[in-house]
This record gives sequence, structure tokens and C-alpha cells, in this order.
Amino acid sequence: MCLTLIRRELLANLMTFRFLVAMVVTLSLVVANTVVLIADYERRLISYDTAVKQHYQKFLKRASTYSEVEGEILVDRPPNPLSIFNAGLDRRLGNSITASHTFVPTLWDTRSHSADNPFLNLFSSVDLVLIFQVILSLLALLFAHDAIAGEREAGTLRLTMANSVSRPIILLAKYISAMACLILPVVMSLLLALILFSVSGSISLSGDDWFRISGILFTSIIYLSVFYLIGLLISVVTRRTATALMLSMVIWSTLVLIYPSLSVFTVNRLWQTPSQLEAAYREIEQIWEAFEREQTDFLRNDSVDGEDPNFNVPPSGSYGAYQISDPITLKYFKVETRLWTRIDPDSEPQIPHVKDYFQFSEPRRIRAAEKTWQVRQKTLDHVYVRKANVAKNLMRLSPASMYDFATEAWAGTDFYGIENFITTVQQYRQTIIDYFYDKKAFSSRKWFSIDQGKVDWSDLPQFSYHRADVSTNVKHASGNIACLFLINVALFMTTFLIFVRQEV
Amino acid sequence: MWHITKRELYNNLNSLRFALTTVLLLALMITNAVRHIREHPKRVQKYHDAVVESMNRLTAIADASLYDLAQKGPGDLYKKPSVLHFCAEGGETLLPDRINGGGLGSVQFWSLAYPDANINMMNVGPDISQIDWAFIIGYILSLIALIFTFDAISGEREHGTLRLTLANAIPRRTVLIGKFLGALISTTIPFMLAVLVNLLMLSTASAIHLNTQAWGRLGIILLIALLYTCLFLGLGLLVSARVQRSAVSLVILLLTWVTVVVFMPSTLASLASGFSSSMSRDEYWDRYGQSDRKFRHENHVWARAKGLDERTLRKRGEFFTIMAANKEHLNEGFLTSKITQVQRARASTSISPATLLQHLLEAFAGTGLDRHQQFIENVQRYAREYREFVVDMDRGDPESRHIMGVREGMSQKPVNPEAVPKFEDTFNIGKDFNTAATKLLLLSLFVVVLLAGAYLAFVRVEI
Repeated sequence: MCLTLIRRELLANLMTFRFLVAMVVTLSLVVANTVVLIADYERRLISYDTAVKQHYQKFLKRASTYSEVEGEILVDRPPNPLSIFNAGLDRRLGNSITASHTFVPTLWDTRSHSADNPFLNLFSSVDLVLIFQVILSLLALLFAHDAIAGEREAGTLRLTMANSVSRPIILLAKYISAMACLILPVVMSLLLALILFSVSGSISLSGDDWFRISGILFTSIIYLSVFYLIGLLISVVTRRTATALMLSMVIWSTLVLIYPSLSVFTVNRLWQTPSQLEAAYREIEQIWEAFEREQTDFLRNDSVDGEDPNFNVPPSGSYGAYQISDPITLKYFKVETRLWTRIDPDSEPQIPHVKDYFQFSEPRRIRAAEKTWQVRQKTLDHVYVRKANVAKNLMRLSPASMYDFATEAWAGTDFYGIENFITTVQQYRQTIIDYFYDKKAFSSRKWFSIDQGKVDWSDLPQFSYHRADVSTNVKHASGNIACLFLINVALFMTTFLIFVRQEV
Repeated sequence: MWHITKRELYNNLNSLRFALTTVLLLALMITNAVRHIREHPKRVQKYHDAVVESMNRLTAIADASLYDLAQKGPGDLYKKPSVLHFCAEGGETLLPDRINGGGLGSVQFWSLAYPDANINMMNVGPDISQIDWAFIIGYILSLIALIFTFDAISGEREHGTLRLTLANAIPRRTVLIGKFLGALISTTIPFMLAVLVNLLMLSTASAIHLNTQAWGRLGIILLIALLYTCLFLGLGLLVSARVQRSAVSLVILLLTWVTVVVFMPSTLASLASGFSSSMSRDEYWDRYGQSDRKFRHENHVWARAKGLDERTLRKRGEFFTIMAANKEHLNEGFLTSKITQVQRARASTSISPATLLQHLLEAFAGTGLDRHQQFIENVQRYAREYREFVVDMDRGDPESRHIMGVREGMSQKPVNPEAVPKFEDTFNIGKDFNTAATKLLLLSLFVVVLLAGAYLAFVRVEI
């Protein structure tokens, strides 16, 4: 009996004009957007490749001494191919960052590639998930709004019940067949998108990516089920199809279009930027003041007279000592670079002192940078990340946002995905420091002078970035998926209870 | 005809959709007003503080000498925030609010430097559309217009009442116009109610002053909103007349709406921005470095020349003025290449009525990219004025040797700060109207085509 019902419902849904229209619109939107998004991805990939090459060439050209490495090692974040599914923060946040021993990079120190036009951010971005989020949820509600109310109006519900079919079976049959109809466009869209991927050739998907894409598919199904059940609940509760339709439309526009903006607005209104920034900035300044004191103490106590920054060596080449600070992002560090082109034989006795000085100061600089980072990370997390998280939590009341966050996590374009990149850069910084220690760079003559040749950078470890493995994606997506699932269960139970007790 | 309009109106006013849309629009408009009341005074305050600081700097320089005025420049020039910011946000957070016009160091001459769009790297939160009028009208009001018309004809046909109506000696045209007016009035009532509440809140707020010109612009914005509503009413009637069942009509309308309003603007923009590319930052710096190096290489003797004879001074002066002019020229070219790319993409999105509305609202609210370009032009005009003023003042001083670009060649007398031209960013509605007129025409064309389509469809359809 159940099968008969499912078949009837399936045919009733599939053979309609509305299903055809929805299918055509969804698929054409998916194709159009996938083509555009692939082109965009390829552009970003080219921009990334050029940036990587240019940064390395510039580095080789500019860094002749070890100390000149400062600010010259730029590492780049490759575009995420899954950003086609959900763009998230992938396009919005900077994709280039410096790795140096004087400074621990964070999310707030990134900058964009040189080929990117920041004014293009005036346009809102589209991704495939947005199509599902907007169109298929609408379709789910349209399928559901007359599922019960329509049959009741037409009187066919009574006829069905006159046969010995239990009410749960009717409900279940309707649910299963409608879900089958909704899954069809999702699966076909994904297939089309994947075909376009393979045609373009620029996107290579790994085995993990396939798992992530199936994760997105799974989340999409749960999401559509939520909207179908919302529609079904409305259909059961209301007497007339027209009323059910209006209620569904209002709920849809609220959940999908309005609520996310409203909640972010509320958070922005209520959330005052904490005043910790100033205190943290002072703390960081003190760290560097302490570092400078140590430096001057060292210079005062060493055997050379005076505190000349050139160590009484006649100047040749270039000398740079500067400080970079920004109270808003709490960026703060001090740098000393030197490039002596030649050293007089007379000055040769001074050289051990110079070596001693750098061997003393640079490890302390590294320590100061790390201390700065600890203060900074804590404060910036508190000021910027917590606000974003509060907004996100408030937005979670809408299944549309939950779906967005879950797919973002699957695609790895969420906050954690970007943070993962930053962590990799921080590890790379550590590798560079280890490399310096290995080479005894701080106490080396090549730290400050090229009179005995330039530094050979051929064995400098190269930066490579791989996206976090699937378990991270699962970890960050699972919360939202579980929530969506719970909503499903709750909605189904409510609909079921109401329908069972209702008079037809 | 009035009879039909009235009947439609009563039908709609009593319906659930009317109540729901009223609540929805009211909630959105109140949010919009609250947001503006809270944020606008802050924006204005920030602007005033910045301008005052800039003026103080200018006064101090003018008190020093004319040479300082000529060398250090007018300082940062700020964009005046629009009082109608609540109508269209227009990416104002992304667009820079100033142009730097200050000199570096003690001898180099000032030049205009255009800051890049400020991407908010601090914002790791979700990216969300602002609740401004452009959103409320563009998304919500158009949806409401469709919801009021999707069953206007097909619903009556299903019930058989359409035949009854036509059995009376009423021409079909009259029926259609009556239905159109009925739907128009019933969508306008909740919208106008919400707008009234919104404007009431804004005009009673002490910190916000809407002048006559602003009210005039608001009037035009409301007319545009009405035109935009007509467009979607026409679409709704057209589909409703063509399609047999109202359920199908709704599906077609909603999907068209989603495509046109939600997807077309961003997809087309992203497609069109791929066709052209802008100068990259590296390319800009390369060009700048090359021309700067070349010029310095050829003329570097004059930069440090100490002689006070006429020729040396003239050459030195030229060195600094040409350097500044060159820098400004390249910087402007860099900005233009970026803005041109965006403008091209924007132009291609004009096929979507939703973008047309967005652009029109931005034009009349005085926000967005067009306004930013107007600001840039204002600044450039002011820069010319400022430079001419310096030359004129220098001519007026008999002790000066009239050699621009070097301290020894220019007037050393302090200048009356009152006489120095001040930068005031003005918003010229006439200029905006020219750019907006074509878009307005295009929007009207859409409306006419859709209404004519609805008429033709309804006249020929079998009932």
C-alpha cells in the first residue's frame, strides 16, 4: 500500500509543469554559474601562480644577506577549488602573507594578490550552494504547501483514508516521494557541475574532495527536507491551500532573505568593540621596549666603545632599522636589516662584536615576536572573532544559514579553513627559524655583509600548503548538520502528531 | 472599471497576504530607520572631526608661508556622507572615504593619492546584505507584487468568476486595468505605510536633518519604487493571463523572480568582470618605478643642487613639480583602470531590473560608485583651484622670484588662512540625473513592454 501511495505521489509531483520549470531553471542557473565560477577560479589560480613566481624572484633578487630576508618571504594561499560550491571567506580575505622571524603572522596581516581588483568586491558573489539554498528551498515549500491542504480541499484525502491506510503511512509516502523529487535536481546539478569541472580541466579533485562534495550533497538533502517539512506542517495546520501558500512564502522570505541580515544587524548594534585593544597595544609596546633595553644593555656592556649602530665600521651599503605598528590590528614589530658591501681590513677586528650582537639580539627578537603574538592572538580573537561567532550563532536560528555554514565547513572556505592556512604559515616561519639556527645564520658574517658573497638560498625550505584533511571538515560541519537533523525530527514529529489527531 | 478596482482592493485588503506583507514591510522599515538613526550621526561626526582636523592643518601651513602651502598641499580630503544613506547603502563601507593630498618630506611636492577600496580584513563574520531601501524594494516589494498578482487572472479563471465578469458587457481591457490598479493600490498601501513610519522615525530623530532637497530626492525614489512595482505587477499579470493554473503561475513567477533579482546581478557582474582586467598593483609599481627612476636619473643633479641662480632654481623647481605631477598622473591611471573594470561589469548587469533599481536608488541617494566618481572629480577640481590659488598668490608677492617648486623661488610670506580655498564635497543632483535618466528610461521600457504583453496575452487568451 505504501508503495502504491509513493508511486502515486511521485507521479503526481514529477509529471507537473512546475517540476519541469523548476528543473529547467535550476539546471540552467547551475550551468551558467558553474561556467562563470570556473572562469573566476581559473583567474584566481593564474593570479596565485604569478604571485608565487614573482614573490620568489623578488626574494632572490632582494635578499642578499640573511638579515635582509625580513619582509621578503611572501607566501600565498591558493584558491580553494571547492569555493565554487561555497565561496565563504575564500575570496574575501587576503591571500598573501609574510613569513619572517620578527613577526608571527595572523589572519589580520594578509593582503590581496597584486592582480586582484578590490573594487570588484562591490558585487555580491554567487556560488552553487546559494542556488540550492534559495531555489530548492522555495521548490520544497511549493511541493509541500498543498500536499495535505490541497488533498483535503479536493476531497481526495478522505478517499485515500477510506482505504485501510494508516495516517503515518500517508505522511511518510508523501515525504519520501517529495524528497525523491527534490533530490533529483540537486543530484543532476552536481553531476552537471562535475562534468563542467572535468571539461575545464583546470580543477583537479582529490579523493578527499569527492568526500567533501558528497558531504555537501548530504547536507543539501537534509536542508531541503527541513523546508519540505516546514511546508508540510503548514499544510497540515491550515485549512486552505491559499493560506498555506501565503504562510510558506512569508516564512521562506523571512528565513532565507531577511532573518540573516536582521540578526547581523542586531549583533552589530548590541556589540560594542571592547576597549581591550588599547591595553593590549600598550602591553605589546612594553614587550618591545624591554627588548630594546636588553639590546642597549648589551651594547653598553660589550667591549666596543659607544653604541654606534654601525659598530664603528665605516658605513657602506645599506642599513635599515624601523618599526611597523598598527593599533587597530595590533601589528607591532621592530626590524634591523644590514647589507654591507665591503669591509675594510681595519674594521675586521670589529666583526666578532657585530656577530656577537646579532647572535644576542635576534633570538631575543624572535622571543619578543612570539610574546607579542600571544597577547595579540588573545585580544584579536576576543574583539573580532567573538563578534563574528555571536552573529553566526544568532543566524543559526535560520536553517538557511545553518546550511550555509555547514557547506562552508565542508568546502573548507570557512573561518577554520583560512585559519588552517595561517597555522601552516606559522609553522613555516618556525621552519625558517630552525633553518637559520642550522645555518648559524645569526652569528654568521652573511647576516649583515656580502663582502664574502651573497647568501645561497638554494636549500631554504619551500612553503607548501595542503588543505586540512576531511576530519577537520567533518568536525566543523557536524554541529550544524546535527542541528538540521534535529529540526527535521522535531518538525516531522509535530506534523505527525497534528495530522494523526486531526479531523479530515 | 472602478468597480473592479474596488472589488480587487477589498478582496486583497481582507486577505492574509495583505496582513503578512504589512507586518513584514513594517518590521524591515523600522529596522532600517533604527539603524540609520544610530549610525548616521556617528558618520557625520567622523566626517566633521576629520574635516576640522584637515582645516587646522591647512591653517597652520598657511600661517607658515606660501611655499609650505604649495609644497605640503591641502591634506586629506573627505567624502561627505549622504543623509539618504538609508535608501541605498551602495557599498559605502568598501569605498574609501578620503583622498590623500599631502606632501611627503620637506621638499617633495604634494600630489593626490587615491586609496584603494578598503577590504575589511577584520570582518570574518558572515557576509550579509544590508537592510536598506534598495533591499526592501528590490527584493521584498517585488516579491509582494508577484504574490498579489499571480492568481489575479488564473485564479478567477479556475473559479469561473472571470467568465461571469466578462459576461457583463465589460471590455477585457477594463478588467485588466481594474485588476492592475487594484493590485497596485494594495501593494502600495503596506509599502507606503511602512515608508511613512520609517520617515516619521527619521524626521523626529534629532540628529538627522532632512532638507528640502533630500525630501525631493526621496519623492523621486518613491516614484522609482512605484515604477519598479508596476514592472513586477505587469510580469505577474502577463504570466497569470497566459497560464491555466495559478499554482503553475506562481512557480514560474517565483523562479523568474529568483533568477532576475537574486542571481542575474551577481552572475552577470562576475561574468563581465572577467572580460576586462585592470592594472595590477605590481604593474603599477613597476611603471611608477621606471618613470620615476628615469626622470631622477636624467635630472638628479638638480635635486641636490645648492646654487641660487635663476637657472638652477628653475630646474630644481621643475624637478619637484614634474615628479609630483607624474606621480599623481600614474596614480590616477591606476585608479581609473580599476574603476573602469567595475563600471563595465556594472553596465552589463543593467539587464536586470533589480540592478537598475539599485543603481537608480544609489544615484538619488548619493551613494555608491557613481557618487564616488563624482567625489573624485570634485577633489580634482579643487586640486586645480588650489594650485591656481598658489600661483596667483605667488604672482601677487613682489618679493617672490616666481619660481614654482623651490622654497627660495617662492613667496615666503604667510597667507591669510581665510583666503585659501577650502574643499567642500558637494553632491550634484543634476549630474546624477543625467546618468540616471537612461536607466530610468530602460526601467520604464521594461514596464511598458510587460504591461503591453499582459494586455495582449489577456485579450487573446481563451477563457
